Amino acid sequence: MRIICLIVIFWITPFNASSTEPPIRFGLTAVVLTEKTRFLDQWSKYLEQKMGRKVEFALRKSYRDVMDLLESGGIDFAWICGYPYVQPRKPETLQLLTVPIYRGEPRYHSYIIVHHNSGYRHFSDLKGKIFAFSDPDSNSGFLYPLTLMGERGEKSATFFRQTFFTFNHAETVQAVSDQVADGGAVDSYIWESLAVSRPDITEKTRIIDRSPSFGFPPIVFRLGTNDHTVQLMKDTLENMDNDTEGEKLLAQLKLDGFGHYPDSLFNGIRAMANKLQRTGPKYSLLPAD
Amino acid sequence: MPILSPRSWPLAIKLSLTITAVVTAVGFMIGVVMVLQDWSRFHDELGEKALLLAESVAITAPKAMRRKDHWSLYLSLKNMASRRPGTKGTHEVVTAMILDPEGKIQAHLNPAENPMGLLFSPGNDIEQNFLEQAMEARTPIALSSGGFSKAGFLEGVVPLFSDQKYMGVVRVRLSVAQLYEKARNSAFIVLSLILLFVFIGSALGTIVSRRMVKPLTAVTQGLEAVGRGEMTDFSPVPIRDRDEIGRLSVTFNQIMAELAEKKMLEEEAAMSEKLVALGRITAGVAHEVNNPLAGLLNCIDTLRKHPDDKKLIDRYLPVIDNGLHRIKDIVHNLLVGLKIEESDDTVSIEHIDNLRELIVAEVGDRHIDIIWNNTSDKDLNVPGKLEQIVCNLLKNAVEILPDNGKIIFSMYQDGPYLNIDVSDNGPGISPNIKNQLFDPFFTTKPNGTGLGLWVVYRLVQSMGGVIGVESEENQGSTFHVAVPVVTTKAA
Repeated sequence: MRIICLIVIFWITPFNASSTEPPIRFGLTAVVLTEKTRFLDQWSKYLEQKMGRKVEFALRKSYRDVMDLLESGGIDFAWICGYPYVQPRKPETLQLLTVPIYRGEPRYHSYIIVHHNSGYRHFSDLKGKIFAFSDPDSNSGFLYPLTLMGERGEKSATFFRQTFFTFNHAETVQAVSDQVADGGAVDSYIWESLAVSRPDITEKTRIIDRSPSFGFPPIVFRLGTNDHTVQLMKDTLENMDNDTEGEKLLAQLKLDGFGHYPDSLFNGIRAMANKLQRTGPKYSLLPAD
Repeated sequence: MPILSPRSWPLAIKLSLTITAVVTAVGFMIGVVMVLQDWSRFHDELGEKALLLAESVAITAPKAMRRKDHWSLYLSLKNMASRRPGTKGTHEVVTAMILDPEGKIQAHLNPAENPMGLLFSPGNDIEQNFLEQAMEARTPIALSSGGFSKAGFLEGVVPLFSDQKYMGVVRVRLSVAQLYEKARNSAFIVLSLILLFVFIGSALGTIVSRRMVKPLTAVTQGLEAVGRGEMTDFSPVPIRDRDEIGRLSVTFNQIMAELAEKKMLEEEAAMSEKLVALGRITAGVAHEVNNPLAGLLNCIDTLRKHPDDKKLIDRYLPVIDNGLHRIKDIVHNLLVGLKIEESDDTVSIEHIDNLRELIVAEVGDRHIDIIWNNTSDKDLNVPGKLEQIVCNLLKNAVEILPDNGKIIFSMYQDGPYLNIDVSDNGPGISPNIKNQLFDPFFTTKPNGTGLGLWVVYRLVQSMGGVIGVESEENQGSTFHVAVPVVTTKAA
């Protein structure tokens, strides 16, 4: 009887998940994905099923945390922003895996938002005001507004009276709607998603500036990750729109799918980052801690 | 208005009102103390709650302030304010803020009006005072707006320290509105209970006081009956208890019984007095009539024996005539004195004045001065009985006076009374016979019947008047009569 039981256990276990191999660790930030624990469970289960490997999501507060985790080998894959992606690293530690497709394109915008009751019409109206950034490693939530200031020959420290980071695009919208900040920079993808799920918040905000389109925050992998795993992950993600289960998950993410795009997709962001690099120190705004 | 003067209210009402007032006052005092204690307890609890909330924010605030993470500071305030501590959600965060040592806003629950980075500006002097207290605080304190008001608040003030360096302050202000509602509700309940208590207490008080006062009411009614002279239909006060009121009732019943007995004895005594008086009159009549009768019978006997003796006839006939007239006078006066009727006959003042002539005739050749003073209204009508009174008094004076005597007659009105004074300068009345002056058959004159003054006394009494006499031996006497004026105008 005992033998039969053991056989059953050994027979079932490898079929269910490859417990012998270490789990694939996938880094995410709350910057984009707010506390969607249930969704992440479903997604990791989907990926496990498709890849035959255990997939663990590592949720961190900031892009910086995820980048640190990626560079230290703590994770194999990460969904990061275009801004940290285009940062030159020597040696390079990561590579583009796949790009989410949003409303038919692998692109999105940065929105400069203000409270709907305010009289601000242009970004320059926010001079001397309080501004909410999303994440210091966010393109839409930090790099773009810095670029706007740069275009006007201003620096964040002098342009705004007060700034702060929310480390979450959704909370930037909240900060503006609560009038904690006079203006904020957010990811168009997040703002539009919120407009559906929490219209009470977005209704209190007004978009006064829409950036040119940028490459959507990509999914990258750590150089040195097993090629097979990388390919498996890329195939799995890019084929999510081909099955019902995957479509359901994509619908929850409000994405059309994942696709293969060249690195040049992020040239716009790269150009802004390079320009900023020349005009001033990158993290001048960040606290010393 | 007796209803407006509490002194005239029945004892039962006064007692029950007193009990009600005492019950109300005690109940109200207890209620006020309970409500105040409740309020103070709730108040202290709310103060502690405000401090706890401020402390919950203060735990993470210094770190966020060092990082200039204003968003976290704001979120900590917002989360604290939206916290629902179980079902005991009896607080409402009115406002909350985090200030740096200079008083600049690091986070405020109402960011639209209190932008971060600017100095917090209090709206008025009171707020300025609170701000100063908060900025000076180096240990957690609870500030109170004080007073029992719906708009009041309690503020938890917790200073922030990072490595013993002062970083600023967290202020969390809770509204007492819900507390106020709670206190008001409990006050309402307490008040309702007091009202119920008062109602029951008053009802019981009324019943008890009525029960207590009932015997007193019976005693009072009995005494009122005594005052009216009704003692016959007195029914004893029932005795329920042996307390003071019970003892009073017993004593009252005894007094009433004794009074009734005394009255009966008095009535009996009055009756026997009447009989005595009647006996005296009867004896007087018998004696006065019998005396002349013996002489008369002797005269008649003698005349019968000597029918032809002219001398005897001439001598005895006047004696018989005198004796019979004396008997006639006695009977007449007795009839007048005993048969005094309530007659409404009136005579004019003129009739009284006419009596002067009668007296002058009575005086005859004797030398007696008569001084007549009548100042009363000439149109006045007086009772007919007055004529007899004046006549008797004047006749008495004439009879008693020696030659060269003087009679003064005065008649005058004094208010509702007509006064008559008859004075003489005769021998006066000895003090030892003054009391018998108006008794029937009492006389000092050799031929008097002793009924003249008795008749005067009876007439004055029947008219509701008074009679008195002043006299000094060998100086004279004055009789005063005062009778009510019956009619003032001549018909």
